[in-house]
Amino acid sequence: MGIKGNAFLRPAGTIASAAILIAALAACAELPRDPDGTTERVRRTHEIVLGDIAGAPRSPEAERVLDRVAARLGARVTRTEGHGEELLNRLEKGKVDLVYGHFAEASPWAGKVHFGSPLGWRTDVGKEEHVPRFAFRNGENGWIALVEGEAR
Amino acid sequence: MNRLPASIREDFARARRLEWQTLFWMSTVVAAMFFTMGGSQAMRSALIEDVLSLVPAVTFLIAARFEPQDPTEKYPFGFVRVNSLAFLVAAVALTAVGGFLMYESAMTLIMAEHPTVAPVEVFGHTVWLGWLMIAALGWSVVVPMWLGRIKLPVAERLRDKVLHTDALMQKADWQTGLAGIVGILGIYFGYWWADSAAALFIAFSILRDGLSNMGIAAAELLDGAPRELDSSNISAEAQRLQARLEELWPQGEVRLRESGRYIVGTIEGVHPPADLPKLDDLMGDDPAWRLARLSFSPPEALRREDVG
Repeated sequence: MGIKGNAFLRPAGTIASAAILIAALAACAELPRDPDGTTERVRRTHEIVLGDIAGAPRSPEAERVLDRVAARLGARVTRTEGHGEELLNRLEKGKVDLVYGHFAEASPWAGKVHFGSPLGWRTDVGKEEHVPRFAFRNGENGWIALVEGEAR
Repeated sequence: MNRLPASIREDFARARRLEWQTLFWMSTVVAAMFFTMGGSQAMRSALIEDVLSLVPAVTFLIAARFEPQDPTEKYPFGFVRVNSLAFLVAAVALTAVGGFLMYESAMTLIMAEHPTVAPVEVFGHTVWLGWLMIAALGWSVVVPMWLGRIKLPVAERLRDKVLHTDALMQKADWQTGLAGIVGILGIYFGYWWADSAAALFIAFSILRDGLSNMGIAAAELLDGAPRELDSSNISAEAQRLQARLEELWPQGEVRLRESGRYIVGTIEGVHPPADLPKLDDLMGDDPAWRLARLSFSPPEALRREDVG
């Protein structure tokens, strides 16, 4: 076989075609994509199911983020109140889209769910400090990126 | 006192410099990977592989300190085999870690754990962490490929197994980096399993390196015949030497073994000749320094075939 036959496998060609493929895919989908499709579902059902941890003081910053996300996806927020563990359990199973509460970065739940960055102007937050944050279902990277993007 | 043959001293010093450079540059890779790792299993495996790739360099530098030293009362045969010992330890560690990582990524895959890669803030801009991961993985491909390429010819000239394995493992590091990048792109496109699948592939490559290194180390610790650097076949150099020795002393039994980077020969059933041919003549066109010792044992001497 001559050089021509292998031309497609040449590194430069492969990288270029991969880049074009990625760009093409990126153009027609919301990326990063959620493996369980949270963002798509919110868009379709026009509803964001928010787990509101009982007793957690509301933060104006959290409300603003929720309003912006809801407006962007054309959805409204349905609140469901409950206890921390119960809501985080439901979040893990995908029954809730988002949980709002006061969480520490060093929470025993970290790893099972994803804790977003602290809401508000404070940036020097200790690992053990309980501050207002959203908790997300693990792996829903597009949804996380969207909400976190509105929080900044 | 430096007991190294004069003809390889320059390459030996170069190899030491290269291994120090490896420690420095690979540390930058490890740092880049560590700070961007996030929740990706593939990045974790690749990071561990990069840390492990420091082991052969450290092994070489430790052995290089011992090797040129004089024999002592407790070690009358000197320290030329320190690197074989260190190499075996490194190979066992590699195998164990490879096995552990395979278990871990297989469990992540079975438990269907979804990796989270969130956006981060860099200099006031919000960036998806995955892009930083891909940049770090790219760096982790470039550095070892470049180092491996310069080390390979030096390792071949020095007949150094540790250095050679190090160079080969680094040359093959692009597979790890590429697998990691595929894993992260998988997450980007919503395929959560791509990450643990990439991690599994990386773990498998660590395990395979470990097992093949264990084989190479074992061959030397068991006084095996001198092997080729890149395979378990008997080296062509040793075969040529064997043929020349057999031609010179057809009545004796010629046995060659490897000791560090050197060849040690025994000719059994032959009285030591009065006039031994010159080393250069014995080695022909091959580098003369490789043959470090040639001994004759007369037919009536005490010996057992299976004890070297």
